[in-house]
Amino acid sequence: MNLRARGLFDRIFTVTTGLSVGLLTLVLLAVLGPMVYRGSGAVLFKGTVEFRKMQRDLFRRADEKALEAEIARTDEFRQTVCDMIYEFKKGIDIQGMSAEVRKIHRELGKELRYNEVPAERYTELRGLSRDIRDQLEGAFNSQEIEAIRETVAGVLAHRDNPGFKGTIAERYFEIASSFLQAAEQIDLSRHHDYAVALAETEQILFHSDERPGLLGPRPGESPPLLVMLRYGATRWDQAQALLDQFHRYVVWEEVESGEPLVRREKPRRELFAGTSLEPLFPYVEENIGAMLRPKFTVYWQFFIDDNVNSHYFGGVGPEILGTMLITVLGMLFVIPLGVISAAYLVECASENWVMRIIRMCINTLAGVPSIVFGLFGLAFFVLFLFPLLGFESKPCILAASMTLALLTLPVMIRASEEAIRTVPQSYKEGSLALGASKFRTFVTVTFPAALPGILTGVILSLSRIAGETAPILFTGAVSLGPTPKSIFDPTRTLSYGSYDMAVGDRLAMMVPHNQYGMVVTLIALILALNAVAIVFRSRVFKKLKGQ
Amino acid sequence: MKTALTGMILLSLMLGTVGQAETLQLEGSTTVGPIADAFAEYFKSVYPSLDITVKKTGSGDGAAALVDDRCDIANMSRFMKDSEFKKAVTNGIYPVAHVVAMDGVCVVVHPSNPVKALTKDQIRGIYTGKIKNWNQVGGPSMPIVPISRDTSSGTYETFEKLVMSKQAMASGVEYVNSNPQAHARVKTTRGAVGYVGLGFVDASVRALKVDGILPSRQTIASGTYPVARPLFMFTNGYPKLGTMVHKFCTFHLTEKGQELVEAKGFVPLTNY
Amino acid sequence: MNEDTNLTLTLEPAADTHRPLVLTPGQDLSGFLAAHLGRAALFFITCSSVLAVLLILFFVIYRSVAFLTSYNIAEFLAGKAWYPTAESPDFGALAIIVGSLYVSVAALVFAVPVGILAAIFLSDVVSWKVRNVIKPIVEILAAIPSVAYGFFAVLVLAPWMQRTFGFTTGTNALNAALILAVMALPTIISVAEDSISALGRELREASYSLGATRMETTLRVVIPAAHSGIIAAVVLGMMRAIGETMVVWMASGNATQIPQPWWDLSLSIRTMTATIAGEMGEAPEGSTHRSALFAVGVLLLVMTFGLNIVSEYFLTRAKKALGKS
Repeated sequence: MNLRARGLFDRIFTVTTGLSVGLLTLVLLAVLGPMVYRGSGAVLFKGTVEFRKMQRDLFRRADEKALEAEIARTDEFRQTVCDMIYEFKKGIDIQGMSAEVRKIHRELGKELRYNEVPAERYTELRGLSRDIRDQLEGAFNSQEIEAIRETVAGVLAHRDNPGFKGTIAERYFEIASSFLQAAEQIDLSRHHDYAVALAETEQILFHSDERPGLLGPRPGESPPLLVMLRYGATRWDQAQALLDQFHRYVVWEEVESGEPLVRREKPRRELFAGTSLEPLFPYVEENIGAMLRPKFTVYWQFFIDDNVNSHYFGGVGPEILGTMLITVLGMLFVIPLGVISAAYLVECASENWVMRIIRMCINTLAGVPSIVFGLFGLAFFVLFLFPLLGFESKPCILAASMTLALLTLPVMIRASEEAIRTVPQSYKEGSLALGASKFRTFVTVTFPAALPGILTGVILSLSRIAGETAPILFTGAVSLGPTPKSIFDPTRTLSYGSYDMAVGDRLAMMVPHNQYGMVVTLIALILALNAVAIVFRSRVFKKLKGQ
Repeated sequence: MKTALTGMILLSLMLGTVGQAETLQLEGSTTVGPIADAFAEYFKSVYPSLDITVKKTGSGDGAAALVDDRCDIANMSRFMKDSEFKKAVTNGIYPVAHVVAMDGVCVVVHPSNPVKALTKDQIRGIYTGKIKNWNQVGGPSMPIVPISRDTSSGTYETFEKLVMSKQAMASGVEYVNSNPQAHARVKTTRGAVGYVGLGFVDASVRALKVDGILPSRQTIASGTYPVARPLFMFTNGYPKLGTMVHKFCTFHLTEKGQELVEAKGFVPLTNY
Repeated sequence: MNEDTNLTLTLEPAADTHRPLVLTPGQDLSGFLAAHLGRAALFFITCSSVLAVLLILFFVIYRSVAFLTSYNIAEFLAGKAWYPTAESPDFGALAIIVGSLYVSVAALVFAVPVGILAAIFLSDVVSWKVRNVIKPIVEILAAIPSVAYGFFAVLVLAPWMQRTFGFTTGTNALNAALILAVMALPTIISVAEDSISALGRELREASYSLGATRMETTLRVVIPAAHSGIIAAVVLGMMRAIGETMVVWMASGNATQIPQPWWDLSLSIRTMTATIAGEMGEAPEGSTHRSALFAVGVLLLVMTFGLNIVSEYFLTRAKKALGKS
């Protein structure tokens, strides 16, 4: 091959190696990028007035006066929305009205007995009431406006019956007349369709049994039991998604027989065309900003707050605390064990079969899968060692950190060994020549010189301890629990919490920003701890070089 | 730096508890877990000094913990097996089952799939690999992608017992670890069929009628829907009246408990 | 040692002028005992790792004995049917073993070229300063927890794969292999780079002085000289890939099948670690199923042990080769 070809190949080769590192950087960005972007939504987002209400109620932090003024303003709009819906509902809420007339009939009976009406009169009035109730129920379910008019007229004819004066039966007539009024305005053949469509719309606006809605519970409604249903959309992006659902509904239509259905989006307005509810849609569209008042929020308390309702609201404070406790305790176990083992292996050991066995064991430990560590931790530490030592035999931070220390022991030993080995012989020989014992030499000369390398081991172990999930599954992590009060309590952690939310119940699917927020917090915590240790290491390194 | 380090060490080594508090330990199924979570949060708001911990590692683990007397309540999405019962009795633990809710295993497909109903035989045929294309069951010509829960889940066991009639699944069936994953797979794959709990049926997947019955609260509660199962909480003996354990295990019978059960997407036992 | 070093422990200076040149028998004996007892203590602490490994081995084997004695080992290793919860359970782990190996080898196919090229880049091509800027990238890759990778695999990579390539499923062998490659890369890069750097300048200078280009030097001199260290790096990467639990559990699809045809990476497979992690929670205590899972654990340990021995062999060869030159 001639010189030029060789030079060309050489250049291509160099570029390829550079490209591989570029690929690495790209991969890092590709992995971290989307997650950091979505995770940042947990702290930086547009919060609505519902969010501020929730902060005031659950975490007691709010500007009372400003918030009250805001709520008063938004309540006006909500009241209008509620009124619109209520008006429409009167005509079509067949079940509600049927239930009410039945109740009136029962209550009337009780009232008559209470007033000690003579028996004949009682039977007569009760019979009349039953007729009225049945006629009204028939009218509710009817679809002929003429028949309804007739029935209601007939019912209203009994209005002046003296037996009904002052009793609950007067409600019959109120219901009948308002029903007639509403029925005049709507297309009765579509009762059922209207009812279904209205139920769906209400669920999006207020809340369903399982999901919160746009505006939160209706004014005057008793608050639902589940905390997340008590508030409307707390984030503007949530509100946008709900608005989308509000304005459009999805239907899968058959375009060709035998082919998959095609997705079509239709405006929900069409379902209520011609009724009194139709203006609701443009009204909501125009005024949603005034109803929710979104404002850019920096929710830094995400890192301090406890979570509410399985991470629907709130933050990851206790998880951060748990992770830090386990990490610190794990480091306390692994650093002495690792450094002492490495010191022995370098300083005192001779290359015989005992050493070979020890090295093989350390390497095997490095290869054991993390799930086996978790099972071993449960069986050995929790079920065997703790009762032996007199502790309570339950999973706790202590067991988890001991298991994790065992997991990262090989890494620590390897890094420390490398570090101690690279300390120049001249340092040791100089110290020994001055008359120091081997122990003193190690402690005062070798160890400080090897400190940067040992700190590399510390950094690597730190990352693994903070990030591992499988070993703590059985030995110390819980998915719900109080903040730990001592190291003999189990705890929530960021790693287990992230895993829990990724595979957990559908609540987690509703709050992707919290899912990603927790993972990103874990990554950020690990990187921050790494950065602290790296800075410390470079200071130590500089001091060593300076000497 | 040093003071911070010593401070952290002291904090970690803090022994002894700060004030005695009553504790309640729950362990077990990931399906029943959300109900336990919701109950626990409500109880914490009513009894602030109560410490409740919930672990969700699986029904088998919950049973093991109860048998070893390591927890107060075991959440399980299946009944205890013979071997677990025997071990419990030898340890002096007498497990008592409380049914807290019903769950329906709903067969779901992508919403673009025009197929609306399947019989149990057809579903079995799909999962054993005999039926491979949707056009064999009245749908468009698309290969079927069967999705199942992993063999260790209670949902899988219910499906296996009530639909598969103990026949083995084909080797090409894809296994996912959880309901949200199964839901996500079916939502994004046109030819997919999977089964999820009732609470995971929403607008982005469609539930099929099984033997002509559509899964809903009414059909599951009344027992007409063929693939339904009860969800259990096991305790050691019937809990003593008035203790926290007793309150927790009977909470589902109250109106508030039923409301919470419904809010989590399960079927309450009674119509309050 | 100047005043502002707060690194030294406060012991007396090394040259202890109070110690006489001639020791009394008492001092002599106590010095002897202290030195040897101290060594013994250190030895026992070091043996803690041996103790840990032995305990783990004992524990896993003990739990799996019930299964191994009652079930046909040949069927366990070579059977394809894994139905642990059926009426008459089948525990054929072949598909799972093949799955683990398949995903690990695929991960290495992706990771080894990139890793070695990157190691060469870091040791031979760039200056020390640039290397110290690039090393943090590798360290950050190593620091990201496996849960975060699993998250990424399921929520970002899988839908993207399904959209772009039209796979029937985004959680498959390819997904798991890619993520495992990313996780194994830092190990491979650091060990390979260490062994390539340790070769020293003389070898390279000799090659350059003969007129070789960088590529020729690297491919024909450096890599063959460091081949033991590189193989050790690859084996360590493989160990990391085989032992990883969380990522494969979330990203590989968990279908107990052997891919047909063998090169089809878009099919779901299941690994041994995912089987243990996924089924352990539900397997009743003391049942055959739990024992079988521990048996799978024994298999895993045997495999990693074997890989260990191989990597040890190559590392000692590398050290010996360096010692000679």
